[in-house]
Amino acid sequence: MPLPAKAFQLWLHGVAPNESTADICRISGIKRTTLAQQLVRGKVAETTLVSISRALKRSPLDDLASFDSYAELAGPPRPPTPAELVSQIATMDLLRAVISRSSPAYGGFGDEGSSLTPALGPAPHATSVRNWVDSIDDGELRHRVSAATGVAPQNYSAQLTANRLSPELAVATARAAGVGFTGGLVATGLITEAEAGWPARARQAALNGLSDGDLTALAGERLQSLGKTLRRQEHEHEQTKKIWENLG
Amino acid sequence: MIAILQWTTLAVCALAAITRIPSALRGENRSLFTIYAFVTAAILLSIDAPYLAVDGVLGGFNLANLLLRFIIFGTTFALGLRIARGFGAKDGLRLITGPYGLAFAGAASAALVVVFLMMDTAGSSAGLVAVYAKDARNAALVEYYGAAGRLYPAYVTLALLPAMVRTIRSRLPGLVRLGAGLLAVGSVAMTLSLLSPVIPPSLGYLRFIFSYAAILCLLVGLAVIWASKIVAAKSPRAHTGLTG
Repeated sequence: MPLPAKAFQLWLHGVAPNESTADICRISGIKRTTLAQQLVRGKVAETTLVSISRALKRSPLDDLASFDSYAELAGPPRPPTPAELVSQIATMDLLRAVISRSSPAYGGFGDEGSSLTPALGPAPHATSVRNWVDSIDDGELRHRVSAATGVAPQNYSAQLTANRLSPELAVATARAAGVGFTGGLVATGLITEAEAGWPARARQAALNGLSDGDLTALAGERLQSLGKTLRRQEHEHEQTKKIWENLG
Repeated sequence: MIAILQWTTLAVCALAAITRIPSALRGENRSLFTIYAFVTAAILLSIDAPYLAVDGVLGGFNLANLLLRFIIFGTTFALGLRIARGFGAKDGLRLITGPYGLAFAGAASAALVVVFLMMDTAGSSAGLVAVYAKDARNAALVEYYGAAGRLYPAYVTLALLPAMVRTIRSRLPGLVRLGAGLLAVGSVAMTLSLLSPVIPPSLGYLRFIFSYAAILCLLVGLAVIWASKIVAAKSPRAHTGLTG
């Protein structure tokens, strides 16, 4: 549920009492029409708040927590689990780590986290959301989220497939899984790792902590699902081409 | 109101045919251009003035109406084939080209000709309105004749409906799905137009709405699919690939 406009305006007045709406829009890069529309509808998107908070050099996480619906974020920070951290590493970076650990004959260094291996790409990545949910799922998570929020399981799945999840659902998912709230907010790209308070090399450290067997199995799972996605896209592309050949 | 619908449909269809001329000259999908041209001819023949002119040349006993029906049959068949192939509808293709489809086409054609010969068709009249007005027997025959003429198009579009629904629910590009959706609405409207004989006269306008909505939806649906191809050609990013 987006933020109520009234509470948002109260917050905005508190943090930037002297700036006009035009100023706020200019420094945060939000279109004036977008903000105006959200205010008129009475619902302000969380991304709007985060952009403004960021532009004012404040903490988006703390500002989000100042709203009733995100009050839970205010508690003592719970760091993400190693599995959550690894879930925010892109598939290609995982594969690079596999090769990096292999023998020099295959282009590796035979160690983990070698300084010669390129740094990890920033979170989130192309399948961040689904990988995050998978990393905290005990098998019943989707049902619990669905029961708690009233969102139909197929709608939830569709969001994961599209690599999207509303902030509200991300928080509900973390709550249902009993993990910290920042994992989902980072996976959905609402806030950055640094804004979430994650240590700078937390993901790399979690990756280094994976055994060869776990890393290889995880990379294999990721490759398999990437293969499935690509094959589906190729199939759909073929279907579309056929339609165009006959009717275009 | 009905005249507006008729002329709008004609304009849309003629426009579609004209915009396809350049690509037809390049040799792309000539048959689709032919289909549009034939549909344009068919709509022309259902409007009073052009109908009277053409029928006058053909002898003034409403042969133009029979011609119109067979133009519609031929166009339906050709269009049905292309749609079935395009959407990979093996089931639909079998229903259209298989024994059932051919038997259906044959039966509908035979019924058309027989009923036409049984009617007193003297005196040009678009939509056989004047023939309908002659007496009860001719009125009934005109109803049968109209039903026979709509039977085959309804059969073909209905055979393709499952493929359309599959496409709407797929994850193909949005415009392709929108096009399939319009084709599906057109199919349903075409089938509903079969009910024309049982629609009470007080709701007579519904007959026109069903048939013209069917044609309009089919035409616009095809145009949308064509547009989706042009849009995709201009923004070359079909799928993410390994970079995604």
